[in-house]
Amino acid sequence: MKFLRVNMTTQTVQYQDVPDAYALVGGRALTSFMVSEEVPATVDPLGAENKLIFAPGYFSGTSLINTSRLSVGAKSPLTGGIKESNVGGTVAFSLAKLGIKAIIVEGKAPSDNYFVLNVEDENTASLILATQLVGERTYATTKKLHKDFGAGKSITCIGPAGEMQLLSASIQSTDLDGRPCRAAGRGGLGAVMGSKGLKAIIVDRRGKMPPELIDAEKFKKASKRYAKDVRADEFSGEILGEFGTAILVEPINAAGGFPTNNARMGQFDGVEKISGETIARVIKERGGKNKHKGCSQCIIDCSNEFVTKEGEYVTSSLEYETIWSMGGMIGNDNLDAIARLDFLCDDIGLDTMNTGAALAVAFDAGYREFGDFEAAIALVEEVAAGTEMGRLIGNGPDSVGKHFNHSRVPTVKGQSIAAYDPRAIQGMAVTYATTPMGADHTAGWVVDQNLEAFGGTVNARGSKGQVEISRDTQIHMAAVDTVGICDFAQSGLATEAGIGNVFAMMSAKSGQNYGQEEWTELGKLVIKVELEFNRQAGFTSADDRLPPMFYNEPLPPYNVVVKVSDAEMDSTFDF
Amino acid sequence: MQVHVKLYGTLPKLYLGDYPKTGLDVAAWQGLTVAELVQLVPLPHNQVAIVSINGFLAKAADAVPQNAQVKFFQPINGG
Repeated sequence: MKFLRVNMTTQTVQYQDVPDAYALVGGRALTSFMVSEEVPATVDPLGAENKLIFAPGYFSGTSLINTSRLSVGAKSPLTGGIKESNVGGTVAFSLAKLGIKAIIVEGKAPSDNYFVLNVEDENTASLILATQLVGERTYATTKKLHKDFGAGKSITCIGPAGEMQLLSASIQSTDLDGRPCRAAGRGGLGAVMGSKGLKAIIVDRRGKMPPELIDAEKFKKASKRYAKDVRADEFSGEILGEFGTAILVEPINAAGGFPTNNARMGQFDGVEKISGETIARVIKERGGKNKHKGCSQCIIDCSNEFVTKEGEYVTSSLEYETIWSMGGMIGNDNLDAIARLDFLCDDIGLDTMNTGAALAVAFDAGYREFGDFEAAIALVEEVAAGTEMGRLIGNGPDSVGKHFNHSRVPTVKGQSIAAYDPRAIQGMAVTYATTPMGADHTAGWVVDQNLEAFGGTVNARGSKGQVEISRDTQIHMAAVDTVGICDFAQSGLATEAGIGNVFAMMSAKSGQNYGQEEWTELGKLVIKVELEFNRQAGFTSADDRLPPMFYNEPLPPYNVVVKVSDAEMDSTFDF
Repeated sequence: MQVHVKLYGTLPKLYLGDYPKTGLDVAAWQGLTVAELVQLVPLPHNQVAIVSINGFLAKAADAVPQNAQVKFFQPINGG
């Protein structure tokens, strides 16, 4: 496989052999190792010295199901630390099938010049001036590029938010239908792409490069067993296809962990109007699509297509985190408005979570009333228009909080929490506070241990055991994000036999013995490298804290605050 | 004594019988626990992982009060 190095300053591209040090990793490990190695921690995230790295997972392009995850890494302009945000769709699989292990974007194009990178095959790529795309939203960008370069191309691009280098800017990528509705949303990496002058990456989807496997037969057998387990699991095999990730709305709300009205409450009165069950029914009645396939190699089909009452496309995919951020978090129970806001964020190129939380802070500060979805839509449109208020919203909750001198800002390291209140599910308090990524639920999702088995295997509203489960899950997820398995296909590795299949595939692909010890060491190494980058960037343990609102304001209905102490937080990465 | 049970996710489909859209009225008794209630509702084994009673999460050993509004949820995963 090759690295494709793209210099935006000189507008040159170069294919390179992959150094041995990076041969056995992909995804998050690769982006974090390379950022750590090649980007000084103190650089301006929006300057020429930062690098933006796109890396398919280690298993992407193999026969293993649900491995079309692309890690995007850089120094984040939002958090000021190292960042990895990953996205599904078609791009990771397409790059792997062209034999490309990573695209490294460095330097900076002359001011106001935007280019598209056209990756044709394993030997041919070029930068093309794209003046005609400046200011275009992602759906229009994709449409034009598909017209000019062919409908079958995978396209990864930014919208106006990325061009304006706003801190909530996402990188959008096309799904199997060619829509730019998949997002590497977190950390403002769209702003980094904008700062480079890179509007889009076009990747040919017709690559046929066989995966590099030392023992192809062993890999094939283990991958088949893995797929069988994912199909057999009720959640990944049935529930996600029928309801999508929105199925989480009701149980998380029941647990009092659905942050509502800027996390003033843990339960939302309008929950039934926006639940997974309701969304699936509405989509079906209107002629939209449930059980929609969004990503290459997917057998779960958790995506959907939300349509208007007249059956016209609105957005894909309407997912749990957005239903929260544009629903309960801003007090909005209007499903059509949530869908519209989801579309606008995709189209403008914005992280739905950071943007919803920014709106919530503005509403909480009295700028508008909670539930005013028309104001929410108008404000997101203002982001694209580049008004002063639009830029505040587009720069995220911290920016809005500063503007209104409002202290109730639910962020860690500048990034908003996700759809699990850390007071009701205290394992998420540990993950939000300590992950090098800023408040990021995917870094260590411990909701199941806090809620299942009739109220959790740990006390969800206490601190005991929370550091341990968050630590273990964060280490595990650093490895999962390295191989590129979709979070929702983790049912395949939930048992001893299941994770054994992953180890078998690691061995078969690398030619090295692989077991639990190597898996854990990989996860630990990734986190250590990320923590060291952040330390060099100026982070201290004081940054591994939740904002005061979570320690001081009891959350209804349980009226509980975060109980995990600072000392416990600081012990999370004692390894 | 009676309690009202609502099923979520694919539980209505898995319910062994005709599941009314408004939920089930289940005949119960004083001291009935959550674990016992789960056994009373005809569902395949191990399909219920989270239970709430009157808006609060319940433990397996918790007693189910009279006229309780109960919600059954399946195991979840996420990220």
